[in-house]
Amino acid sequence: MPWSLLSAPAGAQSDPKADLAKLKPKDFPTQPIEFTVVYPAGGGMDVSARLLAKHVENLTGDRILVNNRTGGAGMVGHSYLATQAKPDGYTVGVVASLLWGDAMLRAQGRWSFTDLEPIAYVNSDALIWVGSTEGPYKGMSIKDVVNAAKDKPNTIRVAIVPGSMWEYILDQIEANSGAKFLRVPFQGGGAGITALIGGNVDIAQGFYSEFRGHLEGGKVAPLAVAAAGRMDFLKGMPTFNEAFGSNEYLWQLVRYAVVPKDTPADRKAYLAAAVQTAMKDPELIAEYRKQGVFFDPKLENSKNLAADLNAYAEVERQFYIKTGRLK
Amino acid sequence: MFERALNVFWVVLGAASAVYAWSLGMIGPAGPESGLFPFIASVIVASAGVVLLLRPATVAHAPDFPRGGGLWRVLGVILGLIVMAAGMPYLGFSVTSFITMIILLRTVDRSSWLSAVTLAFLSTVSVFWLFGSMLGMALPRGPWGW
Amino acid sequence: MMEALNGLLTGFGVILTPANLYLCFLGSLIGTLVGVLPGVGPLAALALLLPVTFTLSPIGGMVMLASIFYGAMYGGSTTSILLNIPGEAASVVTCIDGHQMARQGRAGPALGIAAIGSFIAGTLGVVIMTFFAPAIAAAAIRFGPPENFALMVLGLVCTLFMISGSTIKGVLMMALGFLTAAVGLDVVNGRERYTFGSVDLSGGIELLALVIGLFGVAEILSNVETMAKTTLLADRIRGLWPSLADWRASWRAILRGSGLGFVLGLVPGGGPVTAAFMSYALEKRIAAQPDRFGKGAIEGVAGPESANNSAVAGSLIPVLSLGIPGNPVTALLLGALIIQGIQPGPLFIAQRPDLFWGIVASMYVGNVFLLLLNLPLVGLWVQFLRIPYRVMFPVVLLLCVVGTYSANKNVFDLWVMLAFGVAGYVLRKLEYDLAPFVIAFVLAPLLEQSLRQSLVMSSDGAMILIKRPVTGLLLAASVVLTFLMFRRRTKTEGGLP
Repeated sequence: MPWSLLSAPAGAQSDPKADLAKLKPKDFPTQPIEFTVVYPAGGGMDVSARLLAKHVENLTGDRILVNNRTGGAGMVGHSYLATQAKPDGYTVGVVASLLWGDAMLRAQGRWSFTDLEPIAYVNSDALIWVGSTEGPYKGMSIKDVVNAAKDKPNTIRVAIVPGSMWEYILDQIEANSGAKFLRVPFQGGGAGITALIGGNVDIAQGFYSEFRGHLEGGKVAPLAVAAAGRMDFLKGMPTFNEAFGSNEYLWQLVRYAVVPKDTPADRKAYLAAAVQTAMKDPELIAEYRKQGVFFDPKLENSKNLAADLNAYAEVERQFYIKTGRLK
Repeated sequence: MFERALNVFWVVLGAASAVYAWSLGMIGPAGPESGLFPFIASVIVASAGVVLLLRPATVAHAPDFPRGGGLWRVLGVILGLIVMAAGMPYLGFSVTSFITMIILLRTVDRSSWLSAVTLAFLSTVSVFWLFGSMLGMALPRGPWGW
Repeated sequence: MMEALNGLLTGFGVILTPANLYLCFLGSLIGTLVGVLPGVGPLAALALLLPVTFTLSPIGGMVMLASIFYGAMYGGSTTSILLNIPGEAASVVTCIDGHQMARQGRAGPALGIAAIGSFIAGTLGVVIMTFFAPAIAAAAIRFGPPENFALMVLGLVCTLFMISGSTIKGVLMMALGFLTAAVGLDVVNGRERYTFGSVDLSGGIELLALVIGLFGVAEILSNVETMAKTTLLADRIRGLWPSLADWRASWRAILRGSGLGFVLGLVPGGGPVTAAFMSYALEKRIAAQPDRFGKGAIEGVAGPESANNSAVAGSLIPVLSLGIPGNPVTALLLGALIIQGIQPGPLFIAQRPDLFWGIVASMYVGNVFLLLLNLPLVGLWVQFLRIPYRVMFPVVLLLCVVGTYSANKNVFDLWVMLAFGVAGYVLRKLEYDLAPFVIAFVLAPLLEQSLRQSLVMSSDGAMILIKRPVTGLLLAASVVLTFLMFRRRTKTEGGLP
C-alpha cells in the first residue's frame, strides 16, 4: 500500500486502515459484501466498480464480490437496489447518474432515486463526440459538422443509445442550431464506435475509455466534450459550451456508491468511510485517470453529497420537463 | 385431445399477441416500429395453429401423459423446483436446497430417511462449497447467515 | 508471414514458463468443469474469476481467462451427450444426436469425437489467427447492420433445414422464438414490449434459463416419469473410442464446422452458440441421408462441437486486433485488459506483441491440455452412467438451479426455467422440435435490430440491402436456399408438413 511508504510525522497523519478499523461495527461483515453493478461485466461501469472493489478490499480486508445484475438497460438492477436489496449493509450499489433517468421516466412511481442513499462519489465521465479519420467529414471541427448537418439535413449519421443522454444532447443541438442528424440506434456507446470505424455511421458518441485504443490507432478524431471544462487527456478538444457559446451542453455520467435507505447508520458510516478512503488512494486515482474519467471538484469536496447529487438530478428533471418527457 | 387443445392455445395466443403488437405500432417514419416484428410472428403462430387444427392429428401416436406413479413423480419434481424458487430469497440457498432435495428424494425416489438426509446434506454442502469457495459465487444466504 | 512466425516464437517464449503454463492448465481445467456443469457457462465463470486476475501478471490473467473460455466449449458436450442436458448454451445441438448415440451405447465415441473435433477446430482457428488476424479484423470491421441482417436471415433459413418432423410445427416454434425474444426492451427505441409492468421481464428472458428449462428440466421430468430403469445406459456401453467408420463420417464435418464456426465467431453478435446451431443445420442439409439426424448421426456431434471451438478463436480476433468485442464474453476479456491498464485497439499487436502473441501461443498449448484432459475423462464420464438415476437426478437438478441462478443472480430466472421446463416437457410429448425455437430466440433480436438500423441508416430505404455487395450476396443465398429446401421437402417427405 502506498501509505506504508510514507513515514507519518508523529500525530500529524494517522493510518487510514487503523481509522477505518475503528469505525467497523461489531459483527460486520460476516459474509462478503456485494458491489452491485447494473451493467454487463467488462463495460466502463463494471471496470470502475471492480477497481474500486479491489482497493476497498485491500483497505479493509473484507471480502467484496462484484455482482452484475443486468437487464433492461440498467432498469432491472436499479429496481433491485431500490426495492429488493436488503438494507443490511451487505449491498452497495456502484451506480451511474443514468439512475436518475430510470427513476424519473421509467420507474412509474414504484421507486425514486432517493430510495438509494449516496455514500461516496467515485468519478465522472463526460460524453464525447468523435468523428472518423476517413470519409467526407474528416478533419472537420464540431462547428463544421453541425453546419454541415444544417445544410444537408438527415444525411449525417450519428450513433445514439435511445432513451438517454446520447439522444438528449442531439435534441439540444438540433433545437439550438436547426441542424438535423440521422440517428442510428445502438445498444451502447461502444457499438456506435465500432460502427464509426467500419464506416457505417459518421459520428459516434462515447466515453474516452471506449475509443482510446482507436484514437491511438489513428482511426477516430475527437470533436467535442459535453463538460464544463476541457479534459486533461485531450486538451486540444473544445467543450460543446465553448464551441457554441452556451452553458447547457453538460452531459456527464456521475458514478457514485449507494446503499439502500434504512441501512443501519453505523454500517453505512463504515462503508462510506471505506469507499471514501479508497478514493483518496493515489494508485486508484491514477488507474481511473487512465480510463479517461475526471473528478468533478464540486462532488469531490462535497459536504453533503446527497444534496449536491440531487441538485444535478434536478437539472436533469428540468430538462425532461422542458422537452415534454415528464409532466 | 391434448393436441387439439394445444392448437387452440396457439391460435388464441397468436391472436392476443397480435392485438398487443398492433397497439405498439407497426410502421413509423423511421421504418418498422416496436410492434411490427412481433405482429408478424404472432400472425404466424395463430395461422399455424389454425392449419394444425384443420388437419388430422399429426402426432404419430397418442401422447402418453403420465398417470399414477409417473404423474406423482413429475409433480414432485415441479414442486421441488417451486420450493427452490420461492424459498431461496427468504431461507437462503443452503436451507432451501436441503429441503428440496429431501422432498425429491423422499417423494420421487422413495429413499429411506437416512439416505435422503445424507445425500441432501452432502450435495447441498458440496454445491455450496464448489460455487461459494471455488468459484466465488455468492449464493443467497438465509436469515441465519448461511 | 515471417513476422507471424516471429511473433509466434515470441509468444511461445512468453508462455512457456512454469507460471504461465500452470495458469493455462488451471484455466483449461476450470473451463472444462464449467462447461460440464449445466447452466454455468464461460461468461459466469469469467465474471466470477476476474478478481483473481488482479494479482496475476497481465499475460497470466489473460491466458487463464482465455483458456476458461475455450475450455468450456470442450466440457459443454459432456452432459449434453450423457444426460441430454446442455452444459451450456453452445452445446444444445449436441444433445440431439449426441444423446441418441449414448442411448445406443456409443457415449464413448461421441465424447471422443467431440473432444478431438474440438481440438482440431480450436487449433485450426488459432493457426488462422496467427497468420491472418489483422487482415481479417480489417475486413470484419466493415460488417455493419445490413450485413448482420443478411447473415441472420441466412441463419434463420438454415434453421428451417434443421426442422425435423412437421414443418408447420417447426415454423410455429420459430415464430414463438421471435415472440419470446421480443419480451423486454426494444433496443432500437428503448420501449418496453410484452413486459406488462414487470421489472424482471423488462430485462428480457435469460437465454440460459430458457435453455436449461427446455432441455434440462424437461429432460429430467421425462426421465422421472418413466424411471423404469435404475441406471440410464450402463448396460449398453460399447467401446470408448470412435471407430474408423466414425472417423470417415466425421472428418469432413469437423473441417466444415471449423471453418463455419470461425467465420461466425468473427461477426458481432455471433459466437459459439450461433456457430454450433448453424453447423448442425449445415451438416443436416448436406448429408446424403438427413433422416439419420436426430437418431445418432455422428456428424451432428462432430460439426457443432468443432464449430463452437473455432468460434472462440474467431471471436478473439476483433477483440485483440481492434479492441472491439463481439459478444459478452469477449467484452469481459476486454474489460479485464482495461483493468490491467492495457488498452486494446488497433495498436495492441504493435505495442504489446508479448501479450498478443502470448495469448495466441497459449491457445495452441491450451488446446493440447484440453485434449489430454478430456480424452481420458471420457472413460470417467461414461462411468457416471452407472450411477442410479434416482440418486443422480436430484443432484443434477440442483446443479441446473444453481447454474441458471449464476447468470444474473436473479431468482426470477428460476421461475423462467421452471416454466420452460414444463412447457418443454409438454411440447416434447406432442412432438414439437424445440431447437428451432431456441435458435430463433437467439437470432431474432439481432435480426430485427440490424434491419431497423439499416433502414434508418440508409438514404434510400430498403435498397441498401441490395446495394451493399456482401448483404446482397447473403440475401440471395438465403433465397436460393429457401427454394432448395422447399423442393427437397416436397420430394422426400411427399408433401409439405
